Amino acid sequence: MSQPQQHPEKARSVFTDAIKLSRDTGGPVAKGDTILKVQDLTVRFWVGQEWFTAVENMSYELKAGEVLAIVGESGSGKTQSSMSLLGLLPPTGRATGSADLKGTELVGMSIQELREVRGNEISVIFQEPMTALNPVYTVGFQIVETLRTHYLMNPAAAKARAIELMRMVEIPEPEDSFNKFPHQLSGGQRQRIMIAQALACEPKLLIADEPTTALDVTVQAEILKLMRELRERVSAGIILITHDMGVVADMADRIIVMKDGKVVEHGSSHDIFKNPRHPYTQQLLASVPHLAEHVDDDDLADRPNTVIETEGNPVPLSAARTNTEPALLMEDVAIVYPKQGRRPEFRAAEHINLRVDQGEVVGLVGESGSGKTTLGRAAVALLPVREGKLTVGGFDITNKSVKELKPFRKTVGIVFQDPGSSLNPRLPVGESIGEPLFLHEGLKGAALSKKVEDLLDSVHLPRAMRNRYPHELSGGQRQRIGIARALALNPKLLIADEPTSALDVSVQARVLKLFKELQEQYGFACLFISHDLAVVEQVSSRIAVMHRGHLVEVGDTLDIVTRPQHPYTQRLLSAVPVPDPDEQRKRRELRDAIIEREHLVS
Amino acid sequence: MSNDNYTPKYSSDDPDRIEEALPDAPPHDTEIPVDTNDSGAAAVEVPETVADDEAYGRGEGVGEGQDVKGLSQGQIVWSRFVRHRGAMFGLITIAAVFVFSAISMGIGPIDGLWRVQTISSGDVINGGRPSLSIPGIGGATEFAIGANPFGQDSLGRDYFAQVMTGVQTSLLVAVVLGAVAITLGVTVGSLAGFYRGKVDMALMRFTDLVITLPVIVLGAVLGALVSKIPLRLNAGPELTQSIRENMPVILAVALGCILWTGLARLVRSEFLTLREREFVDSARVAGASDWRIITKHMLPNAVGVIVVNGTLLMSAAVTLEAALSFVGFGITEPTISLGRLISENQGAFSTRPWLFWWPGVFIILIALSINFIGDGLRDAFDPRTKKIPSARAMAKAEKQLAASRAAQSQEVAP
Amino acid sequence: MARFIARRLGLALGTLFILSFLMYGLLEFALDPLQDLRENPAPNRAELIANRVRLLNLDVPWYQRYFLWLGHFVQGDFGIAWRTMQPVSQLIRGAIATSVQLVLAATIISILLGVTIGLVSALRQYTTFDYVITFVSFLLYSLPIFWVAVLLKQFLAIGANDYLQNPTINWPLVVTLSLISALFWTGALGGRRDKKIKVFLGALIVTFAVLVLTLATGWVENPTIGVVGVGVLSIAFAFGVTAIFAGLNNKRALYSALTTALLGTIIWWPLQWLWAYWEMSWPWMFGLLAVSLAVAALIGLLFGGPDRQISIRGAMIVALFTGVLIFADRVLQTWVPYNNAPQIRGRPLATIGAATPGLSADFWMRQLDMATHLMLPTLALVMISFATYVRYQRGAMLEVLNQDYIRTARSKGLSERVVIVRHALRNALMPLASIVPVDFITLIGGAVITETIFGWAGMGRMFLTSLGGQEVDPVMFYIMLTGGLAMIANLVADFLYAVIDPRIRVNA
Repeated sequence: MSQPQQHPEKARSVFTDAIKLSRDTGGPVAKGDTILKVQDLTVRFWVGQEWFTAVENMSYELKAGEVLAIVGESGSGKTQSSMSLLGLLPPTGRATGSADLKGTELVGMSIQELREVRGNEISVIFQEPMTALNPVYTVGFQIVETLRTHYLMNPAAAKARAIELMRMVEIPEPEDSFNKFPHQLSGGQRQRIMIAQALACEPKLLIADEPTTALDVTVQAEILKLMRELRERVSAGIILITHDMGVVADMADRIIVMKDGKVVEHGSSHDIFKNPRHPYTQQLLASVPHLAEHVDDDDLADRPNTVIETEGNPVPLSAARTNTEPALLMEDVAIVYPKQGRRPEFRAAEHINLRVDQGEVVGLVGESGSGKTTLGRAAVALLPVREGKLTVGGFDITNKSVKELKPFRKTVGIVFQDPGSSLNPRLPVGESIGEPLFLHEGLKGAALSKKVEDLLDSVHLPRAMRNRYPHELSGGQRQRIGIARALALNPKLLIADEPTSALDVSVQARVLKLFKELQEQYGFACLFISHDLAVVEQVSSRIAVMHRGHLVEVGDTLDIVTRPQHPYTQRLLSAVPVPDPDEQRKRRELRDAIIEREHLVS
Repeated sequence: MSNDNYTPKYSSDDPDRIEEALPDAPPHDTEIPVDTNDSGAAAVEVPETVADDEAYGRGEGVGEGQDVKGLSQGQIVWSRFVRHRGAMFGLITIAAVFVFSAISMGIGPIDGLWRVQTISSGDVINGGRPSLSIPGIGGATEFAIGANPFGQDSLGRDYFAQVMTGVQTSLLVAVVLGAVAITLGVTVGSLAGFYRGKVDMALMRFTDLVITLPVIVLGAVLGALVSKIPLRLNAGPELTQSIRENMPVILAVALGCILWTGLARLVRSEFLTLREREFVDSARVAGASDWRIITKHMLPNAVGVIVVNGTLLMSAAVTLEAALSFVGFGITEPTISLGRLISENQGAFSTRPWLFWWPGVFIILIALSINFIGDGLRDAFDPRTKKIPSARAMAKAEKQLAASRAAQSQEVAP
Repeated sequence: MARFIARRLGLALGTLFILSFLMYGLLEFALDPLQDLRENPAPNRAELIANRVRLLNLDVPWYQRYFLWLGHFVQGDFGIAWRTMQPVSQLIRGAIATSVQLVLAATIISILLGVTIGLVSALRQYTTFDYVITFVSFLLYSLPIFWVAVLLKQFLAIGANDYLQNPTINWPLVVTLSLISALFWTGALGGRRDKKIKVFLGALIVTFAVLVLTLATGWVENPTIGVVGVGVLSIAFAFGVTAIFAGLNNKRALYSALTTALLGTIIWWPLQWLWAYWEMSWPWMFGLLAVSLAVAALIGLLFGGPDRQISIRGAMIVALFTGVLIFADRVLQTWVPYNNAPQIRGRPLATIGAATPGLSADFWMRQLDMATHLMLPTLALVMISFATYVRYQRGAMLEVLNQDYIRTARSKGLSERVVIVRHALRNALMPLASIVPVDFITLIGGAVITETIFGWAGMGRMFLTSLGGQEVDPVMFYIMLTGGLAMIANLVADFLYAVIDPRIRVNA
């Protein structure tokens, strides 16, 4: 950890000796200089036979060292507004207006001139670190390439500088990693490489387009920490494009809120969070689930009622609270993906003990690859259980044949993450909803229609929608259809696998509200799987935390979110940014301390 | 590396490498913030403008959805297909060729309108030169069909009648072969893709086996085999006669047994992707049987691949049949095929070039039309290829934008 | 890696075994060696049949006969073609080389042409150029190869030969060709209107001038390149290669390419002496090529600087080009004696066979003879597979250009040349590795037909003749050979894949 500061002077001299090939607009910048002045920026796309306005009359200023967050839901034009600064719009896009980078007009600049700006004066960090790096070149080469495009540098010096940059973004063993290909690095490391590459030429302006969206929350926390530290060290202005209000609260000095291509509100971070004036901003902030928001200290019991995993001892089964048959019971369950060709078998989940009582909502939280989705799928018999015993409503589904499972199918339902993929695009949604009814109860014709219409009513969708096709529906509507379908047979147990994570926050809030309503109305038990603790907290009475195929902590929601016992839960919890700058500042210190501690341990 | 996205997916063996190496665009799905009260009755209206500029981060697809309201996927595909100029050209051409040959030579037992219905030798008139004349071509002044519009061969047989019969043979072969190959390919591909594991392994190894030899080589062997059928069956003269007459169909079936491989591979990889789609799991949880999942949920979603490649198969069938007949292992006496006509008359190129031209032109016309239809279908089925304006349209659009901006600034100025 | 190759090899051999077994069974039904005897009215028919049965072991069930055949085959005894009683090994002598020559030449040319055109077509997506290329590729797809081959024979070969006997300039043809070339370059280079006009006029004038000059000066009747031609072309090529692969800003790369071109040109003189005094052969040629590549690498290294590899690569490509030019120049020097040879009589473009029979020729003239014979069949083959490559390359390129990393590359400020050549092309070439083997197999099939039409004594023709003659052994040999070639093509593709794609390498 002390390495980055080892030879900063030497590294710098290597770099500053290099002759700059690309021009330097406006000379060096100091903190506080205005580096970007955007006026009446408008972006249009030629669609069908007309111009569609994606961004309308956007104006703002950015100072060096400042972080400006552009916030909005999908389709608000936040990305395109920034891409237009670099001339990186798709071929059908056109930008008008003015964007002045230290005296240089960017809009309408020729492609040759823009090339000298890109990567040199303005650089970009993209969202998908998986696909944003070229898979066939080493990451070191890709950084060196940026350097040598803008500086006259020999390869050795460029390599030295690249390794220096990689060290700055805390890539472990940068000399080795220099020769690695993107697929050999983890998602977080790839994003660090993206950042190193973006900082290579000491740009004046850094555009970070959803830099942490594709990452797990603990990795996101590390990247955010890194970006905050870098922010102190480089004098660039940063435009942060994101939909995550927590990230905004963590990073931003000023905020622009966009909706449908228009700026609806523009102000300091504090003002926007504490005193939002535009109704859309208010609604947006209200929609964001807020971790441990409604917690009073009085609510807490004396002793947290949680069980945690300890060395070699899996989390034991929690005691039954009622005498009724549990809706879902997993006893020392292991789920294994079998060997495929030369790919060895993979134990996705092991030693799982979990109980979901009737009518109870249990949240299952974990990061990607933790095995939480695997558990959900096993609970509806989409995956076989290798070891242990899995019972649903008293029915043991371990090692049952397809035929034996048929009656069981009636008692469970599942809602999937991706509403675009969970409905058959070739069937009208009414038919999708009706399929379980047709298969199990043999309903047809008018009886089926009646039932489908009832279900549509219960998820607050108009009856006429049953004849629509999935592609005609918005994401939120599709997810409602998915819920209706899962509830068609009035199941005892519902598995909700990340039902809201593909949705924008405002839609998510409405879907969650609906979910709670329906849960009260139908009284089904539910295993609610999510990576987002704040969402799980809203709907569930108990939470189980999963990490690398093991349950590490199970307990009451309140205890988990306020008094986590297991180190992983603590780390996970501290990593979640909350949409409140002041509170986030406090949390950040805790988070950074935990990250430092982890690094010391490892 | 704890945070690496480890999603254990069933990996297939080799044929999928390309798919793995070239990932598709990320499967984003985005919410459309149309109406903040998207629940309840307010949501009846499907969004006017679906502004998903984040969908691929590129702004393509902005404004989609305007013209798809209330349409099923099939209808959308059809409307895109109809707008595809090349495809419509192909469709019209091939329909015209078919109708033309059917009207002139009849179909099956029904006689057509052309004067020669049974091809027999006769007197060679005017050296067998075509009597067709079209103003402006070859110095002709008026339009005339004459007795032998396509000329006569060295035995004085009417060439128009022969070519039209050959066209019918080609189309018949294309359709039968297409049907056989599609049936085989879809069956093999969907079983391999759906069941994976050992079934997949066995079926794909078999497919590899068939692919190893050039189609024309296997075809020639099968052609030779087909011609030996009467011998192997010890058929009497009548049966032999009827087998001979149905040669095109038998040959097409035999050739269908070699051309299915490409389609099987494509259907398989399509099924492997579809299997990962959640609606398949959703149907399984709902209690649907394998048969129902394959036929009701997966096949309809693979129909694009099947239809497109089925068409391309048919165009390959036309040229393959012609090539085999040309080398003598395809259609033989007494059936007429375009390839056989070329083969028989290739020596006469310098003396009677028309004998060579006409069948060739019709082969190209048929194959080209089918290819264009296939291309149109591909574009119509592929959601990614939609709505990208041509370079010219873009230039025009830019002018329009400049003009409207100029007009605006003038309004502001005074 | 060794395990990977061993596994593949084992799999290939297994496939080949099953293939041969199944094909033998199929052939048992498809061939009837007694066909000619069945209708034979001769009184000793029964005896003849018995003889034939004994000769070909027909009284043994076919699967037993298969293993007999396999046993012999593995030992290098490929059986006999019973009609002529010639052993297969004798039949195939020369035929393999002829066929492989044809197929390889066609494969290489169509890959180079198809990939380039497909690439440009993708870069100019939705322009007229793109539409025209798409149309042409569809047209080529739909052409029956036998028909095209006959046309080529009739028009191109006979037409060109007629022209050479009586050279008069065909003005409409010259103008049409110039216009086509001008339109092609305008479409391919694209750009704004003023650039388009410049390109159009430039290409028009250059093409027209070149055509008229070659025709009017009688170059066509006596084509030579000469040292001047070698020099000019090499230097132009050096500039072109540098512009595409390194950028003209890279002076070191430019200088090493130019030095190589210059040195290559100077070497022309000593080479003429060498070639005048020694009888040449292919090993000699490859030796010389290897030496020149080594020298080029050295030049690149010496100019070197930090980016040695780029300079070395550029210099080697230039050396290859110049070497081929000098070779071509020497071959063309035999044009006049070749053309006047009694077997040619001024009609150099051959339509029949793989070589002129009875031509007394040295090494150089043999190459010329081979080239004139290869030209038409290769062209016919190229026409079929060219379209495939154009379509695939265009599709792959469009796919890659839509990837996020291309946007990243642009956002780094890389020039469009680097984005396309370094980032897009490299990725877009990867799917090619799995298409080349498939296309190679198709071309082998195509060769069956071209060989028949152009009267080449190749493997394909042998296959057809033997199949028609009911001879199982030569047919089986052909099948084993083709299957073997297909296996090798697949192996090479797998290997290439592992080399180009780092993601495969670690998993292999």
